[in-house]
Amino acid sequence: MSFLLRRAGFYVVAFVVAAIFNFLLPRLMPGNPVDIMFAQAGTVLPPESLEALKATFGFVDGPWPVQFGRYLASVFTFDLGLSVRFHPLTVNAVLMQALPWTLLLVLTSSLIAFLLGSALGIRAAWRRGGAFDSFGAPAALMIQAVPPLVTSLVALFVLSIRLKWLPTGYAWAPELDPGFTPAFIGSVLVHAALPILTLVVAQIGGYLVTMRNSMINLLGEDYITLATAKGLSDGRVRYAYAARNALLPTVTSFAMTLGATFGGALITEIVFNYPGLGYTLYQGITARDYPLIQGQLMLMTLAMLTANFAADLLCLALDPRLRRA
Amino acid sequence: MRAFFTSLLANRKASIGAGIVAFFLALAVFGPLVAPAGPNQRVGRPHEAPSATHLMGTTRMGRDVLAQTIHGTRTSLLVGLSAGLMITAIGTVVGVTAGYLGGRVDEALNLITNVVLVIPNLPLMLVLAAFIGAASPATIALIIAGTAWGWGARVTRAQTQSLRNRDYIHAAELLGEPTWRILACELLPNLVSIIGFNFIGSVLYAVVTEATLEFLGLGDALKVSWGTMLYNAQTTSALQVGAWWEVACPCLALVLFGSGLSLINFAMDEVANPRLRTLRLKLRAMA
Repeated sequence: MSFLLRRAGFYVVAFVVAAIFNFLLPRLMPGNPVDIMFAQAGTVLPPESLEALKATFGFVDGPWPVQFGRYLASVFTFDLGLSVRFHPLTVNAVLMQALPWTLLLVLTSSLIAFLLGSALGIRAAWRRGGAFDSFGAPAALMIQAVPPLVTSLVALFVLSIRLKWLPTGYAWAPELDPGFTPAFIGSVLVHAALPILTLVVAQIGGYLVTMRNSMINLLGEDYITLATAKGLSDGRVRYAYAARNALLPTVTSFAMTLGATFGGALITEIVFNYPGLGYTLYQGITARDYPLIQGQLMLMTLAMLTANFAADLLCLALDPRLRRA
Repeated sequence: MRAFFTSLLANRKASIGAGIVAFFLALAVFGPLVAPAGPNQRVGRPHEAPSATHLMGTTRMGRDVLAQTIHGTRTSLLVGLSAGLMITAIGTVVGVTAGYLGGRVDEALNLITNVVLVIPNLPLMLVLAAFIGAASPATIALIIAGTAWGWGARVTRAQTQSLRNRDYIHAAELLGEPTWRILACELLPNLVSIIGFNFIGSVLYAVVTEATLEFLGLGDALKVSWGTMLYNAQTTSALQVGAWWEVACPCLALVLFGSGLSLINFAMDEVANPRLRTLRLKLRAMA
């Protein structure tokens, strides 16, 4: 229990640090922070909305602790202000519209990459030095060196523009009405296929190599030899004894790399005009929509912390030693 | 140490990787001498397909793609190497200090490291770059270094902690060696391979991240680099009109350079201490 409490305390600290960044940055820039942040907003928003927006970011009368307190209060109640680019929507509304699409890409691709990569990693470690291992492990590392930006550009050009197998953009065919109809769901899946494929390629190598390495380290342990000597089946030793323990580093890194995966998803969405967070954010960046850009940092940090917390819980379930510590 | 480098050189993966990296370094230094045209010189009609005169075709603005890629190598590598160097320096100083001194200092530094690790990099860099405006390559290098040193620090700290209680360190302490000498002369030589991994992984990460930030339009679009080339191709819909060559050349450069670095890293991993294998986690986090 104290393990979880310690972690929870750390997450609050991390969240506040991200908020401090957002609070300080406009104030560190040369010139008047209000001018910097709301230059665009002033031309779009009516005066009373602009005042409300400034208050959200702590631009109120008073010394800076008061301003910071005001800002923290709005962040912790998840009041992120008004979007400038998507006026009159709030940043919250804009982000929440986009979030499900990004989650669809990130979660599906992570799951596929995790299952496939770990399975291949187990295979490579079990016959280490064999044909699959000596080809697969370096190949996985090479694939990892390819940035998602390049993978998505190549996939877009070859599979959608040249071969015309898959659509070049958007989340569903525009002539369909959103709803739980087979045609609509099918369209969503077809449109998500390429972004997901790109993200799986970006992640799979990492899972393969991590799993392979931690398996190889474990296979030399005495308890594996004992399990084999007891006459347990190969499959039992491989999965119930070696793979279960080897999963621990993978689970931790799963959470840590989620930030990178979100980053990759942002890029992929922009290349495929996919209406998730990345694409929305891209439009926000071009319009210098600071409330939106700052809001996404808080949302992404929150997503990272949630994932880390989930990983903590999973580690707790997999590793009984943590429960006693 | 010597044996480490000898077996590294004998490794085929390492020599291929080193060859690729050396090629790009040479291109960065001597590129402007061999490039067929200036980076912003109009040499043909818009979107000319690859031909004998323009080996990789021309851009929307009628500039030679190959020439731009060659000129861009210098900017991309300069950002990659300088950011990689900074990431490694910060990571090593923080990691060694935390791991060696322990106690309060360690707790504080470890907390900072973990916070840096858990705040997602790209979103944070977007906020930074958006406030700075059209960020110059030097600014981009600083932003990358400031947000990405967490992994190096964590791994270096772990390794330092495991070295800290070895006999030879205790002996040095009993002999009354000053702390800086223990750190610099006793600990550091044994951390060389881990620092090397950190550096190579960081350079790879920095080159890719610079290209990504510039692709998003957060760089200075007038400076020619692999990232701004991709940005210009994206804004002129080069792929949609079938001008694949405008994208192919910078993409190929990114992939080739990245593969070179990964090959070196992989070979180093095979040669060095198997305990260092966890560093692969770092590489994958950066993918």
